Amino acid sequence: MAQAKATPKTYDVVVVGSGAGGGVAAHVLSLAGAKVCMLEAGGWYDGTKQSAMFKWPYNAPHRGAGTKEKPFGYFDATLLGGWHVPGEPYTQASGSDWMWWRARMLGGRTNHYGRISLRMGPYDFKPYSRDGRGFDWPITYEELAPYYDKAEELIGVFGSHEGLENTPDGKFLPAPAPRGYERLVKLACDKVNVPCIPSRLAILTRGIHGRPACHYCAQCGRACGINANFNSPGVHIFPAMKTGNLEVLTGAMAREVVVGPDGLARGVSYIDKKTRSEVTVTAKIVVLAASCCETARILLNSKSSQFPNGLANSSGLVGKYLMDTVGSDVDGYLPILEDLPPRNEDGVGGMHMYMPWWHYQDQKAGKMPFARGYHIEFGGGRGLPGADDFSGTERVLGGGYGVELKRNVRRVFGAQVGFTGRGEMIPNADSYCDLDPVTVDQWGIPVLRFHFKWSQDEILQAKHMQDTFKEIITAAGGKYFTDATAENNWGIARGGSIIHEVGAARMGADPKTSVLNSNCQAWDCKNLFVTDAAPFVSNADKNPTLTITALGWRTSEYIAEQVKKRNL
Amino acid sequence: MTEKSGVSRRELFQIAGSVPALGAATAGAGLAQTHEKPPAGYQRKVFDEHDWHSVRVLCDLIVPADERSGSATLAGVPEYMDDWLDFRKQEDGNDDLAAQILGGLAWLDLESSRLFKKAFADAGADGQKQILDRIAWPARATPEDRRWAAFFSKFRDLTLNGFYSSKVGIADLPYLGNTAVEEWKGCDPAVWAKLEERMKNGYKGLGGEVKPWG
Repeated sequence: MAQAKATPKTYDVVVVGSGAGGGVAAHVLSLAGAKVCMLEAGGWYDGTKQSAMFKWPYNAPHRGAGTKEKPFGYFDATLLGGWHVPGEPYTQASGSDWMWWRARMLGGRTNHYGRISLRMGPYDFKPYSRDGRGFDWPITYEELAPYYDKAEELIGVFGSHEGLENTPDGKFLPAPAPRGYERLVKLACDKVNVPCIPSRLAILTRGIHGRPACHYCAQCGRACGINANFNSPGVHIFPAMKTGNLEVLTGAMAREVVVGPDGLARGVSYIDKKTRSEVTVTAKIVVLAASCCETARILLNSKSSQFPNGLANSSGLVGKYLMDTVGSDVDGYLPILEDLPPRNEDGVGGMHMYMPWWHYQDQKAGKMPFARGYHIEFGGGRGLPGADDFSGTERVLGGGYGVELKRNVRRVFGAQVGFTGRGEMIPNADSYCDLDPVTVDQWGIPVLRFHFKWSQDEILQAKHMQDTFKEIITAAGGKYFTDATAENNWGIARGGSIIHEVGAARMGADPKTSVLNSNCQAWDCKNLFVTDAAPFVSNADKNPTLTITALGWRTSEYIAEQVKKRNL
Repeated sequence: MTEKSGVSRRELFQIAGSVPALGAATAGAGLAQTHEKPPAGYQRKVFDEHDWHSVRVLCDLIVPADERSGSATLAGVPEYMDDWLDFRKQEDGNDDLAAQILGGLAWLDLESSRLFKKAFADAGADGQKQILDRIAWPARATPEDRRWAAFFSKFRDLTLNGFYSSKVGIADLPYLGNTAVEEWKGCDPAVWAKLEERMKNGYKGLGGEVKPWG
């Protein structure tokens, strides 16, 4: 490894990471006039030039099937990333089962994610006050609401105004009309008193900010060739670069935050992957947005004589209270959808309808066997056939072959509807990451070791999901298929597999019990901030990206104000 | 658009024009005539010459040509299957699936030899039907035939997956998307009318009977 060298320039801000959190920080700060340097561990990516939009599975290896290297299939936007990144291992403590997703590319996960954009509600910021479990955030919904507004107006989110409990409405673009099976499932939900409303996704149903409207090819996961869905490069980074204030360094694998004798951050040292040499970027302010666990890793690796346990870690809470989302699935088959006239049911790259959590009052009254809730996502219809999509045929038809089988497959195509829950995990002391005492990655950086446990609340929530999905499918006159049992904890997804990891450097009102203050500023180092999901105090069922964006915006505005006031 | 983009929305509809358009697709039968050539010079990785012959025969018994589209071999299913078995071996770190398929093909020949003194591929339509009818509906299979029914289920899955993800199969279904839509209108009113009628009166489908929703 070559000797460390410093970049000649001193920036106002260095941002580590280019996903939702790094993107919004770089965007807001460069537009405010700061000179910003962004470090991205992966390569350059521009969906408008690299998207696999409109390609066909029969032109891909193995019909586009997922692999270890490309878990979401050949055409997925994630060029380098997954639960396995070559040369960058992580370890598990004994008895733990955790999967750590990383996307090594400009824009990170925003290139392929589901674009689900749900605001956390007032209850979600004060969960401890409501049910005595977990912890409260140091901010309220009202404090974050203006930033949700800004985030939605910039990235573009469709939805509808519903006025439902703890499910705040936003600044929405019009929601796309539902598909046939979605209208039908909504009527089934009416029968069993589950609310089913238009979904809220960061996909443009109308052009905004020079970005065109969606053309409904349903392949958002491949990245959008016309920038009609939210992605950090197309929405945050490229417009920020136009100001001339943002410089982006790719292949820059952050190792640690460099601290001066005054205890303040001086910049970030990184490994330049091409030359395997170490470089230090100096800046007045450091913003970490490397993704929740990677941010914790950088802090834990930032050891110095002043901070022997890692930077911003006087509370000992860096890496602690790691959370993912509760997931459990049931497949449904609805005969009523058989043999309908062929039609294009693609729509946007995701659901047009969803079911927000509906048992808040029952929980308050102590009538539910678990704390916290989930929302339901569902999908089906006549989607693009890919690898392995017809293996469920036998359970519907019972078997067969020949001309009759062919005729039957045509009739049943599009009659399956799958349901999945996305629920809140309560933070627990058994779920955290620390540095593995031995293992390093190929850049010589000590790696994370994961410890993870679901509690009974999450497992009982998964059971409730199973029961509810079966009820909805039965109400629609369908058949359900699930492997979930008490023995496998009701099919609860493996920790990390939903890719909603949050926490690990939580914000709070007290430096003894939190890493960051209410502005996501490190208690121990005032020119160090975090804008990814590491500051999250809880993990509501509302998917994290919109809250990362709103919270990151708020933090970035705070930074800009403090610079103006010469406090930083 | 923020950056110089690869395509504009206008250009997109021109590009998408090369994909079957929505209106044309309802013609159904006409579309499916687009035959694709199996990959030229495909090098087999799993099946030997004899298996290859059996696989081609069996795939076409499962998905034969009919009035709407061509057969499994025409859609390149044997090549897909050979490649898929090799792929699973690499990805899963074992060749259990390949073993099940090869073992099942071996049994077809054994059984066919026992009954007709001929390999399965040469047993003729009646002989082949006699064997397949024993294993093509797992619930009806005798206890002795159960593992061969399990083989056949897997083989059928592979055939259907290969066929319906091919160009021929996609046109056969037909799947009408993966294209730019000028205006999204949601559920087709004619489709919704059918669904309302079924909700009102009930519907008997292949996958079960739906009672009136009430």
